[in-house]
Amino acid sequence: MRNLRRRGVIALGLAGLLAGTAACGGGDGGNDGGSGGDEAGGTMVFGTSSDPVSMDGAYVSDGESLRVVRQLFETLVTTEPGGTEIVPLLAKEWESSEDGTSWTFTLQEGVKFHDGTDFNAEAVCANFDRWYNFKGVQQSASVSYYWQTVFSGYAKNEDPALGTSLYKDCQAQDGKAVINLTSASASFLSGLALASFSIASPEALTKYEADKVTGTGEEPRFEGTFGTQNPVGTGPFKLETYEPNNRLVLARFDDYWGDKSKLDKVIFKPIADGPARRQALEAGEIQGYDLVDPADLGALEGAGFQIVERPAFNVGYVGFNTAKKPFDNIKIRQAVAHALNRQALVTAKYPPGAEVAKQFMPPSLFGYASDVPEYEYSVEKAKALIAESGVANPTIEFWYPTGVSRPYMPDPVANFQAFSADLTAAGFTVVPKSAPWNPDYLNAVDTGGTGMRLLGWTGDFGDPDNFVGTFFRTKQTAWGPLEESIYTDLEAARQEPDEAKRTSLYEAANKKIMEFLPGVPYVHTKPALAFAKGVEGYVPSPVSIEDFSKVSLSS
Amino acid sequence: MSLSQGVEAVESADSSAAGPPEEAAGGLWRDAFRRLRHNPTAILGAALVTIFVLVAIFAPLLAPYDPKVADLSQIRPGDFPGPSREHLLGLDSQGRDELSRIIYGARYSLLIGVVSLAVGATLGVILGLIAGAFGGWVDSLVMRLVDIMLSIPGLLLAIGIAALLGRSLKSVMIAIAVVNVPVFARLLRGSMLAQRRSDYALAARSLGVTRSRIVLQHVFPNSLGPVIVQATLALATAIIDAAGLAFLGLGSPDPSIPEWGRMLAETNSLLATEPLLALWPGLAIVLSVLGFYLLGEALREALDPKLRR
Repeated sequence: MRNLRRRGVIALGLAGLLAGTAACGGGDGGNDGGSGGDEAGGTMVFGTSSDPVSMDGAYVSDGESLRVVRQLFETLVTTEPGGTEIVPLLAKEWESSEDGTSWTFTLQEGVKFHDGTDFNAEAVCANFDRWYNFKGVQQSASVSYYWQTVFSGYAKNEDPALGTSLYKDCQAQDGKAVINLTSASASFLSGLALASFSIASPEALTKYEADKVTGTGEEPRFEGTFGTQNPVGTGPFKLETYEPNNRLVLARFDDYWGDKSKLDKVIFKPIADGPARRQALEAGEIQGYDLVDPADLGALEGAGFQIVERPAFNVGYVGFNTAKKPFDNIKIRQAVAHALNRQALVTAKYPPGAEVAKQFMPPSLFGYASDVPEYEYSVEKAKALIAESGVANPTIEFWYPTGVSRPYMPDPVANFQAFSADLTAAGFTVVPKSAPWNPDYLNAVDTGGTGMRLLGWTGDFGDPDNFVGTFFRTKQTAWGPLEESIYTDLEAARQEPDEAKRTSLYEAANKKIMEFLPGVPYVHTKPALAFAKGVEGYVPSPVSIEDFSKVSLSS
Repeated sequence: MSLSQGVEAVESADSSAAGPPEEAAGGLWRDAFRRLRHNPTAILGAALVTIFVLVAIFAPLLAPYDPKVADLSQIRPGDFPGPSREHLLGLDSQGRDELSRIIYGARYSLLIGVVSLAVGATLGVILGLIAGAFGGWVDSLVMRLVDIMLSIPGLLLAIGIAALLGRSLKSVMIAIAVVNVPVFARLLRGSMLAQRRSDYALAARSLGVTRSRIVLQHVFPNSLGPVIVQATLALATAIIDAAGLAFLGLGSPDPSIPEWGRMLAETNSLLATEPLLALWPGLAIVLSVLGFYLLGEALREALDPKLRR
């Protein structure tokens, strides 16, 4: 849930900078932005919704920061282009001990950091030890969100609510990095593909004071220059210049160990306003941007722009708080599920390719169950269930966020209005409630203040634990109490080392969840990027691990 | 200018000097109404206002569809059916009839405008009356309070209050009412000060009429002219403010309520594909505001003694 919050911060905070970015929008894009004309090379300008929070992967969890980090840094393992399968990157190969607590990574040789120092097992261990030994503000969930997601705790937990760290230690042995864990975890390896576990140059981390963080969890201040001016990794690009609110220029790293980048430069240009990004693409100021408004897809395609879709790796859902009346009543929850015309909403408001969700995770992930209970659209059934429920004139507090657009929810107000009308038709009285996405809405959700709410989730890595586990493995105030066995089943599934057994455990859990119905999932959508003609080789990834070094420009 | 008009003007001026003040007030209004009738601007303004009010009152009879009932079956991303015989202004992003929403929108605009203005003007008039009647330190106190309120830009004050009270139609009404209070207080007080020094007030005093009777029965009714004019103009501002607050997302939390400002805000992202949907609520706001503005300006001219011909 935290990463939702972080992403929201950026969307809202940067809205204020709209005027500033718009003012800079006219001038410089064109000069650098030409397709170059050379056979290889050239510069691509990519429109982003905001600047990165930091270029130190350990401190970020929002999409805009991670996008930049992925070009500058590399992780031990990554996902296959366009999929979620784990493939080698800085680690050539790996093996785990039988009990799953010790992992040995054999590393690529001859890899150098941008500052000329060598990448080796010592560097890997230095990075893991650095994250493990985070202190103070560094331990807040908003700063090292992904470390907490995958490893739970730190060497010395400052918040007693944090769990025991999954990470135990790391040893460099004959050029191999051995990472020891305190218990087995099936999602450990998938988690390592996250850009937050990028290996940085230990020398640069010290030199540019990466660990100097002050402020508070809500408003951390990164005092060192590692994350702002001197990010040093092994990636195919290195940082050339970074002018906040104006542009961030990456240049090809010529000593890169793998296939060198086809582009000379990539410029990330922040344009906070969605319609302004589309106009910038049409005007030729940028050659691509992310999260295209579904309403613009047709017009852009008609004008000769390329639309690139990411595989659906998200879920939009209507969530209940089962601690609040009338949602403690299963018949009411079922009545809501039958009352919502999910197909009509998905057809009307989502781009082609979006599909109606049947459970809380996308079909492409293992553990997806084909035989969960389905709740088809039927006003009669909804009315009958309300009658059976014994709740006379059920009134629903229905929450929706304002000032936000998410891949799974491009226009929350539209979704709210459609569902609200459906519910009214089925005999519910809907009390509309809304709040600005960040922090009011997310706080209201987290503290259990929302009876029924619109929300969703975009997957971070290819593991069911990142979907159903995030929602239902632990007791959460937002959802209220669920059937006890859902918690235990999901915990067992997380720890199960055998892939086949895990799959069936998750399938069973998904069925149980949809029987209990803690919410109604309604959409898996395919977020789209738009590119100018001539941009080639951009491979969209379900988890947004996308490599700009493979992109080329032709004129 | 005709001779007869000139004579009437002289007559009415005579009567106001000679007769009791109540009669003079009546003469002034009769006179003003006559002037209004001959002013094409006033006719146009009155016509727009009349249409607006009638549409607002008879919305359920005029609207061809229920403005809240959504039907997504014809809606696709970036593609809503435009004007047709069934839906004269087309469908909005939720598949609702745009014409019906514009018609019902008049209701909300009028409701917010009238209620907020009535509350704001009443409070303002009471404050102004107190200041104008008592003078001295009471006057100073009230007017400093009014000055403080006036020092904050109106819309900013309204946004602040509406944001503080939370999203609802009621808080929008309160916000706009508060903005109007100092305007009316100052206006009435100034007008009363001028009247208090006038000859008829002095004459009444010399006859031994009590102060409260002079203020309430003579000075106050004669000071109301500018207040009426201001009320008409303020209604125009109130409609714009209500639309502005709704545009900023401070209106009712129920997005299906057809407020013009909110309808305009919703089309913000649709300008490239559905520009007409932005035109209708914009036009509705402009025409209703123009109506009140023209009528208010004409009324001011008609009531201004300096412009009498």
